[in-house]
Amino acid sequence: MTVKIYIPTPFRAITRNQATVEVEGETIQHLIEALEAEYPGIRERVFDEAGEIHRHINIYVNEIAVENLKGKDTALVEGDEVSLIPAIAGGAIPFTEEQIKRYSRHIILPEVGGKGQRKLLNSSALLVGAGGLGCPAALYLAAAGVGRLGIVDFDLVDLSNLQRQILHHTHDLGRPKVLSAVDSIGDINPDVKVEPHQAQLSSENVKEIIAGYDVIVNGCDNFPTRYLLNDACYFLKKPMVDGSIFRFEGQVTVFSPGKGCYRCLYPAPPPPGLVPSCAEAGVLGVLCGIIGSLQALEAIKLILGGGDPLVNRLLFFDAMTLEFRQVKIRRDPECPVCGDHPTITDLIDYHEFCGVPQGQVVS
Amino acid sequence: MFKLEKRFATEIIDHARAEAPNECCGLLAGENGTILQLYRCDSAEKSAYRYYLDPKDQLRVMRELDEKGWELLGIYHSHTHTEAYPSKTDVELAFYPDALYFIVSLEKPSEPVIRVFRINDGNITEEDVMIGQ
Repeated sequence: MTVKIYIPTPFRAITRNQATVEVEGETIQHLIEALEAEYPGIRERVFDEAGEIHRHINIYVNEIAVENLKGKDTALVEGDEVSLIPAIAGGAIPFTEEQIKRYSRHIILPEVGGKGQRKLLNSSALLVGAGGLGCPAALYLAAAGVGRLGIVDFDLVDLSNLQRQILHHTHDLGRPKVLSAVDSIGDINPDVKVEPHQAQLSSENVKEIIAGYDVIVNGCDNFPTRYLLNDACYFLKKPMVDGSIFRFEGQVTVFSPGKGCYRCLYPAPPPPGLVPSCAEAGVLGVLCGIIGSLQALEAIKLILGGGDPLVNRLLFFDAMTLEFRQVKIRRDPECPVCGDHPTITDLIDYHEFCGVPQGQVVS
Repeated sequence: MFKLEKRFATEIIDHARAEAPNECCGLLAGENGTILQLYRCDSAEKSAYRYYLDPKDQLRVMRELDEKGWELLGIYHSHTHTEAYPSKTDVELAFYPDALYFIVSLEKPSEPVIRVFRINDGNITEEDVMIGQ
């Protein structure tokens, strides 16, 4: 059977400048052999030494790629049109010299490698709160080369923050926290694009803000935001690394959509005023570094897709006894948000739910 | 000296920005060494470090060029994080020695840079380019 073959420009020197030639062949393999007989030099352009189609050559029969048919054994019928198409491809090298050096300690880890580092550079994380937990988490995520970091915080840097909120410096007093975060992160790693969101998360803006990020790192310090973020992450299928601190104790867990959420653990907030805030009860500064760093670690693991993330496990840390304990947690089939018969299917009014007046939120 | 009309330079930069952080790619065609048309193409690999011009787009454009009697003059792609110079991958996968390879860099997003090269059998030769009306 006679088949028309489209010859790409780089091969036309072989076919005496003809854009199409006609030869006979029962299959692609036969066709190329027949072509070779008439125009020597074609075969080695199409097949590699093992006799397989070169990876950079695309062959189409009519409009269908032979990789979706039977490859070189694809049968041909009279009147078929075969096109040989050398790939047009390439791409920047994954890292600049500076990046290879900067991330060398990651790249030499087989579990990270160049591939993992590229994943980090192409990934994004959102830090909710640029406070005690958000600061250390942001620093490590930025240093690790997470390419895009969003930071949500509406607050200004206060002198009482500096005992633990290590993105902010004495000269930042009075500045928006998100802006001092931008400066500090830029100083550590100019590869990272920082996106400041100087806002208080609410039912109105939360979905829009979290939608653009791969992983959400929760470092907020109040119940309305915690429930709001939990629900929004579940609705938008975003993994969330949750952390909390109180005096000398901290907790960390990872909520992976469909595997349980904060409401499975704590279906309802405590009555307002029962649990004092850090401003009221105090918190050991360095504890924030430990818990925030654990959150950064879990976020990096989620991005890399390696190790065992802290999903369905709740980690407790006691700074005074220096003990880590873990408990298993499960998705609650009765959960109003992620259970089998959810009763909450969209965002609600979280201030009302928590019995906290609007605007009473600290970082 | 290769003359690149400003409208094509602008379109290459616009395309690169639209696809960023991923690399974009496309083809430039015309006759007698003068570019008459730019074809934006899809990259089959959506990546910041890779482009692979969709063979279907390629086939479509090549057919159109043959009908019009035009030739493939250039292949463009973007480097979104690095300079406008052919990478090792670009050189290894340069199968069109007669085409000019245009690389637009968005390394500094507000100052895109376009440079033009011939890549033949592993050798890179830079062409002088003048961007004009």
